[in-house]
Amino acid sequence: MMNGAPSPERAPRILVIDDEEQIRRALRSILQARHYEVDLAANGRDGLSAAVTHTPDLIVLDLTLPDMSGLEVAKELREWYEGPIVVLSVRDADEDKIAALDLGADDYLTKPFSTGELLARMRAHLRRIQGGEASVRSISSGGLRIDLAKRTVEVDGEPVHLTRTEFDILAMLARNADRVVTSRMLLEHVWGPEYESDTQTLRVHMSHLRHKIEPPGGVPRYVLTEPGVGFRFVGDE
Amino acid sequence: MRWQRLATVWGGYPFALAAVVIVTAALLPFRSLLQPAQAMLLYLPMIVGVARVAGVRASVAAAIAGFLALDLLFVPPYYHFTVASPVDWVTLVVFLLVAALAGVQTGYIRQRERAAVQRQAEFALLNRLSSRLVSEVSEQVTAGFIVGEIVSVLGADRAVLYSRESGEAHVLAQAGGVGSGLEERVLADWVLRNAKAVGLPPLPDTSLEPRPAGVAADAAASGVVADGIYLPLQTQDSLEGALYARPLAGHPFSADTMRLLVATSNLAAAFLERRRLGGEAARAVALRDADRLKTTLISSVSHELKTPLAAVTARVTGLLEEGEGCDAARVRSELKAASEDLGRLDASIRDLLDFSRLESDSWRPRLEEYDVSEVLGTVASRIPAAQRPRVVFEVPEDLPPVRVDFAQWARALSNLVDNALLYSPADEVVRVGARVLGGDVLVWVEDQGPGVPDAEKERVFEKFYRGSTSAACPSGTGLGLAIAHEIARTHGGRVWVEDAHPSGARFVISLPLGGEST
Repeated sequence: MMNGAPSPERAPRILVIDDEEQIRRALRSILQARHYEVDLAANGRDGLSAAVTHTPDLIVLDLTLPDMSGLEVAKELREWYEGPIVVLSVRDADEDKIAALDLGADDYLTKPFSTGELLARMRAHLRRIQGGEASVRSISSGGLRIDLAKRTVEVDGEPVHLTRTEFDILAMLARNADRVVTSRMLLEHVWGPEYESDTQTLRVHMSHLRHKIEPPGGVPRYVLTEPGVGFRFVGDE
Repeated sequence: MRWQRLATVWGGYPFALAAVVIVTAALLPFRSLLQPAQAMLLYLPMIVGVARVAGVRASVAAAIAGFLALDLLFVPPYYHFTVASPVDWVTLVVFLLVAALAGVQTGYIRQRERAAVQRQAEFALLNRLSSRLVSEVSEQVTAGFIVGEIVSVLGADRAVLYSRESGEAHVLAQAGGVGSGLEERVLADWVLRNAKAVGLPPLPDTSLEPRPAGVAADAAASGVVADGIYLPLQTQDSLEGALYARPLAGHPFSADTMRLLVATSNLAAAFLERRRLGGEAARAVALRDADRLKTTLISSVSHELKTPLAAVTARVTGLLEEGEGCDAARVRSELKAASEDLGRLDASIRDLLDFSRLESDSWRPRLEEYDVSEVLGTVASRIPAAQRPRVVFEVPEDLPPVRVDFAQWARALSNLVDNALLYSPADEVVRVGARVLGGDVLVWVEDQGPGVPDAEKERVFEKFYRGSTSAACPSGTGLGLAIAHEIARTHGGRVWVEDAHPSGARFVISLPLGGEST
């Protein structure tokens, strides 16, 4: 099996593709200290071949590489690799983020990032592929509880009625808690591929959804806007 | 217009002759009814007409031809130049004199009228061109307009406007027929190198200044035949380019047209100079901005970046110095402090870069429609978890959407919130509110700290300014409020601080509704 699904008896194997020596060294010692197996690659070509030979459980990919762009690497990886890809980028360049997520990266972190944040995201992704998404029955965050099987939502114990579309949006965001979901991904998933650029429709439904689930006082807490990119569901901390 | 051009072919003589023949043929059948003096009267309008249409010389020719026709056909004996009666002699001589006078007079009036019309066209053309030059249309459009006018108004077959790019001719715009390629290029380059016209004959009117000195084409480049005129485009100080105009085959440019071409070329030179100076001004502005950015960075980089770096270095080397001896709890607390210093270092770098980008206008806002509450949601999510209960949001739900750069606005508001949390007592609440007032949306952050003294209410938004009350709080970068100020500015709004009641400061940021920034 080439998709890199981890087997429970061995430590998760992480491939780090980053051209900066300092970052590679730091990540190796941090990850090894937490009993991950670590492979390092300093450029895109080496990274792609390391991905084939080591079949990592998760790939950490820097977007600025000397030989090819990180986006190209992500694209080539996604042709066969099904494990999580976490993208690192220097500044918050929206276009790169959107492109990386649309190409199939699962998450991105902006450098400098804290070790705690990186490890938390990695654990979440590894858990997700180990557990399998289908088995998640309900998701909660703060006072919000979403029952994916029954398609019901409660806020602070009170049932809230959502339309089908609103529920689909919320469910997709909640399944990807703490990860940015691009507008295009939402539109494609909820409405279908032919609607992928209809962001105005999405904004209208999002506004209704927020009205129903967000606390009074006018400031959203569960679904945050990621400007130019999409939306992010805030999971329990 | 077409038959008028026909009338002037070969100096208008064929036209004059034809007119005489037609009038004679028309009168001949009535010869028996006409006295020579009456016939003479009937010739005169024809002479005047020829003068109007074909000019003085043609009218004199018509007068002579008419004189001969009268003598031969209307003065007895017919078909002989001899004249029988002395009265008829007088008639003939009077005819010749009157006809020549009428023709000459009419011809001169015609010439003056034509000159006036020509001046008017010239004035109109130059007026159009010069108003184009000061209007703010793109240079491509203006250049195209100049060559277009030369073809359509001056009747050229082809016109090309060259600019001078690193000493060589560069086609800026062309109009009309197909060019001759290499020859045009060679001659245009020659004109630019020598600042002399090619193919321009001496012009009678000396009122046009500056008038370029001209040479023949083969003097410029041997073996090259110029099929048109090449004019250098010269201003007082510089040679800006060249203008080429080719007449229609068989219709060389008249002296008037050439004077107009020279006048047009002077305007085109002014246009090119303006374009070049505009480009240079833009580059100067860019350079100045880069300079300003550099100054900002250098003046602050040592303090803002080195302070946290020094702190981290001190802590880490201190731990290394102590070696094995130090206990785990101390290592942990030192590392925790070092990590906080590094966080400050990161914040400082981010603030410095963002402020420089804002100040030099290289971080332009990308305006999109958002709800104020969406932006505040992101602001709320950035407040450190320990501080979150201190911040109370009171935002009405019916606020209209705003057009903002989300990232910039969230940044500005976060800075105001951070500032309030930093400068007010740790157990006091910070309130964030919003409302519409007039044509603006106002968002404010209110704390219960010491407030800002009136003397400092403006200065707190200057970069690296630390107020008198902030001495106790060393951890700001000194740029937070300056960044908020710049962001408000780029959005066409503003930010200010006022006194809150009963105590504290209220920082307000305004954004014009529906209005857009520069």
